[in-house]
Amino acid sequence: MIDSAKIDGAKIDSAKIGGTKIDVSDIQGFALKGYNFPYARYLLLELGHVKGARDFIGQIVHYLTTGERWEEKPVSTVNIAFTFPGLAKLELPEPTLLSFPVEFQQGMKARGEILYDTGKNSSEHWEPVWRDNRVHIWLAVNAQTPAALEEQCALLLQIANQTGGAMLLQAQDAHAIFIDGKPTTKEHFGYTDGFGNPDFKGAERDCVPGQGKLTADGKWEALATGEFLLGYADESGELPVAPIPHLLARNGTFMVYRKMHQNVATFRSFLEEQGRLYPGGKEKLASKFVGRWRDGTPVELSPDGMDPALVADYDRNTNFTYGKDLNGLRCPVGAHIRRGNPRDAFGFNGELVNRRRIMRRGLTYGTYVPEGQPVRDEDEHGIIFMALNASLFRQFEFVQQQWIEYGNDLHQGNDKDLVIGNHGGRGKSVLQGTADPQNPPFLCANLPNFVELRGGDYFFMPSLTALQMIASGTVDPR
Amino acid sequence: MANQSGQIYGLTILSPILEGDTLDIAHATALRWYLASLPRDHTSPFAQVSSTHFARLVVMDDVVFVGAPAIEEHLKSRYLVFETNFDGDLDAYLIRMAKEIPDFVDSVWKHCVGYPGVADPAAFGAYMKKCQIETTFFFADVNNQTVQQNLKALQLQSALSHFIGQNQGKPAAEIQKSFGVLLEHLAKAPAPLPGGKDSEKTAAEDRPYDR
Amino acid sequence: MNAVTPMKPWKTPILRVLFFVLGAIKPLQSGLKNLSFIHFARWVIIDRTEFPHLGPKQPQEKLQYDYLIFFSNFNGTWNQYIDAFSAVLSTGLNAIWMWSEKFPGSVPVTPFKGYINQVQFDTDYYYNAYPRAATNDVKAALRVQDAFTDFAQTSQTLSPAEFEKAYLEFLVRVQADLGSTGMAPVGT
Repeated sequence: MIDSAKIDGAKIDSAKIGGTKIDVSDIQGFALKGYNFPYARYLLLELGHVKGARDFIGQIVHYLTTGERWEEKPVSTVNIAFTFPGLAKLELPEPTLLSFPVEFQQGMKARGEILYDTGKNSSEHWEPVWRDNRVHIWLAVNAQTPAALEEQCALLLQIANQTGGAMLLQAQDAHAIFIDGKPTTKEHFGYTDGFGNPDFKGAERDCVPGQGKLTADGKWEALATGEFLLGYADESGELPVAPIPHLLARNGTFMVYRKMHQNVATFRSFLEEQGRLYPGGKEKLASKFVGRWRDGTPVELSPDGMDPALVADYDRNTNFTYGKDLNGLRCPVGAHIRRGNPRDAFGFNGELVNRRRIMRRGLTYGTYVPEGQPVRDEDEHGIIFMALNASLFRQFEFVQQQWIEYGNDLHQGNDKDLVIGNHGGRGKSVLQGTADPQNPPFLCANLPNFVELRGGDYFFMPSLTALQMIASGTVDPR
Repeated sequence: MANQSGQIYGLTILSPILEGDTLDIAHATALRWYLASLPRDHTSPFAQVSSTHFARLVVMDDVVFVGAPAIEEHLKSRYLVFETNFDGDLDAYLIRMAKEIPDFVDSVWKHCVGYPGVADPAAFGAYMKKCQIETTFFFADVNNQTVQQNLKALQLQSALSHFIGQNQGKPAAEIQKSFGVLLEHLAKAPAPLPGGKDSEKTAAEDRPYDR
Repeated sequence: MNAVTPMKPWKTPILRVLFFVLGAIKPLQSGLKNLSFIHFARWVIIDRTEFPHLGPKQPQEKLQYDYLIFFSNFNGTWNQYIDAFSAVLSTGLNAIWMWSEKFPGSVPVTPFKGYINQVQFDTDYYYNAYPRAATNDVKAALRVQDAFTDFAQTSQTLSPAEFEKAYLEFLVRVQADLGSTGMAPVGT
C-alpha cells in the first residue's frame, strides 16, 4: 500500500486546492474519499497488553490506505480508528487522553440521552459487543471482491495473533446491495443513497454543485477543511478543538459508527397501507418521506415524478436549495434529506448549517429482499452508518439531536424524522402538499420505529504520523 | 417606551438584599434556598399571576471581574434581580402580586431592604418601582398576544393536528360532521393552565372530542 | 441566560444611542426574529450611580464602571444559541458588546463563548408559562388559530363538496404549522 520511505518524509504528496494545502499521504483514505467498493468488513478488536498492542499498530500502519491519488484502484483498502478506551489501553499519556473532547471520552453509549438513543434504541437492546465497552479498534477492510476481502482480513488477523496485540470481538460484514448482478447504492427500504457528501477545501475530487456551502451570490463553494480534519481552519475562523499534542491530532478526524437495523417488513407494510390512502400513490409518498424518489431523483427539483437523467447528472442531482420552498410544497419541510442538510431552509443563506455538515461513508449489511417477496423485521438487514467530522459534538450530535430527533429549527415542533426517528409508536409527520387533490397535505401518525439502533461508538481516526507516534509510544503532551 | 413591546411589559427590578452580621444564615443564602424549593410548574406563584409569560429571580452576588487591564471592583450590597415579561400594565401587575400571591412576595422580599409588606398594595407597588431599572432595548418575538391567548392557540393546534390525522381519507360529509363536533368541544374546553401541567397536553393525553 | 458586563462610563452614552438607532432601523430585531429561537431578550444599562439605594442603612455603591445586563428566554441549548449568534448576528452583537471591557468579539466563537461563560450568572428561579412550547410553536399555533377561525365560520354551512374543497385549502394553509409541542432536547 505505502512504503516507509514516504512515512519518513522523503516523498510527500500534497494537494493545493483553494489555498489549503493538505498532506494526503498522511491522512487515512477513508476520511478523504468514499472508496465505493462493494464489500467491506469491519473488524472490531479488543487490545491486549500495551507492548503487543503497540507492536500490532506498528505493523498495521504499513498496510493502511492513505488519501493519495490512485493510478489504479487497489483490490482492497485498510483503515483504522480507535475508541477512547482503546487509546487508554495503548497508554497514551494522561494529559493527552484528558485533552480529547468530552463526548469522545464518554463514548456514544454514555451520550444516549443526548442522542435520543432511548427506548428501543437504548443500549440495553444493543449487540453485546457494543454494550460491553470492549471495542478498542475499528479495523476496516473495503474490497472489490469477496476473495480480496478474505485475503486482506486473514492477513490482518494473522498480525493480531502474531503480536498478541489484539483479539477479534466481532467481524461486521457489509456490502452493497446487488440487483441483477450489479452493485447499487440502494438501501433496504429501496431508496438509492449516497448523494450529497460535503465538499471541503483540499479534497481530491472536484466540487459538485450542491455539496458545499452557499456563497452570497448563490453559488456553491467548498467548506473549510477544518470541518472535517483536525489542524485546519474551520468555518468559524479558528482551529477546531483538538487533542494535544498537535502532531497527534493533525490530519486526524472523528468518526461515529452506528449499526442501524431496518425493520423492512414494517416499513413496507406502512408504505403500502399509507400509499393506498395517499392520492399521489405509494412511490410519490415514499419520495416525500425522504426528499428523494426511490431512484434518487431529488424531490425539490422534480416533485411530480422520477427523472433518471437528473439522477445521472452530477451537476444537477444534488444542486438545489430550499429557499423558494420554505413551506415545503415541493419537498416536505421534515423530509429526511432536508433534516440532514437543511441548506438555506433556515434563512441566512445557509450560514447556520455550514458548521453542521457530516461526511457519510455508510454501507448496507444483510441480505437484500426484493419488493414483493416475504421479509421479516427480525431478519438481519440494515445500514452500517459511519460519519466523519472534526467535532462529534458540534456536527453529528447536533444534527442527530436537533434536526433528526427534534424539529424546532425546521418549525416542526417536536416531530422527528419519519424514516429514522425514534418514534416509539407515537411519532407523527406532516407532509406538506398543495390544493391539488392529487398532491394534498398528508399527515402520518402513530409512527413506529422503522429503524432501530443496535450499537456503535465514537472513534478517533488518526493520521499516519500520529499512528507511528502511538505505535512507538512517543506521544508527548508537553 | 423602552419597557414595552406591543402589549408586553418587560420589568427589571433590582432589590438590594439585607445584610447582617448577627445572622446564622445570610439573607441572600436563605433566599436562594427558598427559591430552590419553589415549584416551577402550574403551581408556581407566577402561574397564579397568570399574565406572566416568563419570570426569573436571580440573587446577584456581585459584578464580574473580567480580568486585567479592567479594574476589579465590587458591589457593596447583593441584589435580588427580578426580571419578568407579562401582559399589560405595570401597576396592575404589581397589585396582582400583592393581592394574589402575598405569601410568596413576603417570603422573597422580606430579605430585601425597605420592603413595606403587601398589606398596602399601593405601597408595595411604589417600593418595587423605586427598584425598577429601565429597559434599554427590548426584543419580544410575539408581543401582541396574552398568555391565555397563546395557551388557547396551542391547545387548538394540538387538537387540530390530532383531528386531521384521525379523519384523513374519510368522506367529506363525515369529516364535516366531525369537524362540527370538534368546534363544539373546543368551545367548551376549559382554558389551559399556565406553567405546564395542562398547558398543552399531547393529543394522546387529552381528547375531549373523542367519544 | 443572564450576563453582566462592565463598561467605562464615557462609552455608555454611545451604546444608548446605538440601541436607539438599532431599535429604529431594526436590523437586530429582524435578525433575532429570523433566528426564531428567542422568546424575549433585553438589555438593561445600569449607570454606576443608579443601583437602587433605599435607605441610610444600605451602603452607597461606589463604582467606576457602568454595567450592561442582558437577559434572554430562548429555546435550544446554550451552545447552539451562542453558535448561532456568532454565525449570523455577529455585527449586531459586536455593536452592543464592544463597549464592554475585554469583549473579544463574537467571531471566532471559542473566545466569545469563553467571555460569555465568564460574565454569565445563574438563575435561581425560572418560570415559563408554556414550557412545552418553543417560540416557533407559539407563532405556529397563532397562525393555525387564525386559519381555523376563518374556516370555522362557514364550515358547517357548506355542501359536502364545497366543504371538501374548503377543507383542503384549510389544510394547505396550516400544513407547515402542525408540529407537536413537547420537552426540548437535553442541554449538552
